[in-house]
Amino acid sequence: MTDDRSTPLQKILTYATLSVVLALVLIPYGYAIVTAFKPPYEVYEVSWWPSEISFGAWRDVFAINHFHLYLWNSLIAGLGSAVLAVAIALPGAYIFARKEFPFREPFFYIIVGTLVFPFILLIVPITIVWIRIGLFDTFLGLWLAFQIFAVPYSMWILRGYFARLPRHLEEAAQVYGCTQFQAFWRVMLPMAKPVIVSVLFLAFLQGWSDFLFSNMLTTGDGPRTAAVAIYTSTAGGERVEWGPLMVMTLLAGIPPVVLYMFAQKHLARTFAGAGH
Amino acid sequence: MARTIDSPAVKGRPERDRTRRQRSALVEDRWLIFVFLLPTTLFMLFLLWLPFLQGIWMSLHNWPFMGEPSWRGLGNYRDFLTADYFWTSIEATLIYSLSTLFQLILALAAALALKQAFVPAKPLLRGVMLIAYAMPPVVVGAIWLFLLDPSLGMITYYLIEFGIIDFPIYWFADNTWAKWTITLVAAWTFWPFMFLIILSSLQAIPQSQYELAEVYGANLWQRFLTVTWPNIQGAILVVVILRLAFNLAKIDQPFQLAGGGPGYETSVLSILMYRFAFMSGDFGMAFTVGMFLVVVTVILLAPFAILYQRHLRQVGG
Repeated sequence: MTDDRSTPLQKILTYATLSVVLALVLIPYGYAIVTAFKPPYEVYEVSWWPSEISFGAWRDVFAINHFHLYLWNSLIAGLGSAVLAVAIALPGAYIFARKEFPFREPFFYIIVGTLVFPFILLIVPITIVWIRIGLFDTFLGLWLAFQIFAVPYSMWILRGYFARLPRHLEEAAQVYGCTQFQAFWRVMLPMAKPVIVSVLFLAFLQGWSDFLFSNMLTTGDGPRTAAVAIYTSTAGGERVEWGPLMVMTLLAGIPPVVLYMFAQKHLARTFAGAGH
Repeated sequence: MARTIDSPAVKGRPERDRTRRQRSALVEDRWLIFVFLLPTTLFMLFLLWLPFLQGIWMSLHNWPFMGEPSWRGLGNYRDFLTADYFWTSIEATLIYSLSTLFQLILALAAALALKQAFVPAKPLLRGVMLIAYAMPPVVVGAIWLFLLDPSLGMITYYLIEFGIIDFPIYWFADNTWAKWTITLVAAWTFWPFMFLIILSSLQAIPQSQYELAEVYGANLWQRFLTVTWPNIQGAILVVVILRLAFNLAKIDQPFQLAGGGPGYETSVLSILMYRFAFMSGDFGMAFTVGMFLVVVTVILLAPFAILYQRHLRQVGG
């Protein structure tokens, strides 16, 4: 197993770094998990081993907080966000990467520039406009608002990928009788599958995780997401029920983590060219 | 797909046919460009530019959440510049943006460690390190609120147990601690984004470059300087630019943790904007603060953008 190129110093440094980082990451989550299974009276003392494993907090979260409804809303918010982001960004990114037309570069940089633009300030006019045109407190209103960030991000990723594919692919397809659209649909799209998965995933997370837009553009009766519900139970001035809260964090936090594990390989490939 | 490519539809046709085909392809090209750019254009118009212009218009008004707006000219801007919380907010914003640096240190260290050939179970380790970033920021925020709770939090407990502090610290309500605490929690939450991109770019370095450096007798540090660093410089600039911009635009987690207080101590510009809009219902003032956020973002990003331009010229990209 020993790699002849690595010195003992290198190994010590590496394992020391890894241990520190892993401890930093795992201890908080470990404690959150332990707390979620503690009986209520033990939540208020610091200990790693509960005297018994209790599911009381889990029952409360569904029976009292109705957290499943919020999770469902998060799911819908995320799915809509993902579909819309790909629908808007994919065709545009393809054209920006593979076709010539006037003002292509400035046009593209205006869109991707939004990535570093503090887009959150648009929540102010959007709230007012959404109320006026009836998008306030609707899923459609949320999905559209998520695109302010999701589209530029997706365009940046997708265009980079399309631009790195070999040149003359479309021409080759056309020589064999494909129309322009078929060249895109049958040749380019299948090749872009891993990066489309990444974009779907990132835009889904945007909807699932967002707090700002979901909080501002919905009311208590509307499509409130789990992130907003968690925020509400930590704010509001009442005493925080830490046991149920830790259950909620696990319920809202684990699905994206699982998705990340599946998407890892795609993501790594997607970001490999990010610096060029 | 394979069948389409294999069918020799136009092989051996006369020359005239081919030019006509090329001309019609050009028309088709224009249509494709037009249709494919339509969603992007509509998006830009209706979700970016019109709201932005509407926002600027609002910032020139006294614009309550409900009720009639009234013209104020530059009154909101003047009020904000002369308000006593103006500098408090700028200071909080600058401190909070330092979390970018903490994120970079963590990410670089972890990525370099995970790049080493002898480390086992790499996919698992990489996955574990991504956890904090995968979770919604308010989820991570809730966990840290619990850990740092002054009366029953684990961290306060151990700090007292080990005699590091004598009294519980109110991490999120203390005048000096609050802004540093939200900064460090942000570092803990968002570093995996940098880690992911830096690691991807580390893994793309051809092994032959390291072997060559070794032939010339380069030691560990020299190998880092001559091979690793030049290869990841571009990626690092990109993540610093993105993360800095994202950190400046964060509201959810720092607001959840400290609510912008005590007073205005943790009211970074984005939170101040939020407070004006949704706590005081003053939408004109809220967008005014947003405009200052734009200015601060541009100023802070400019040096890194220039460095990145220079880097692109060097590598000829």
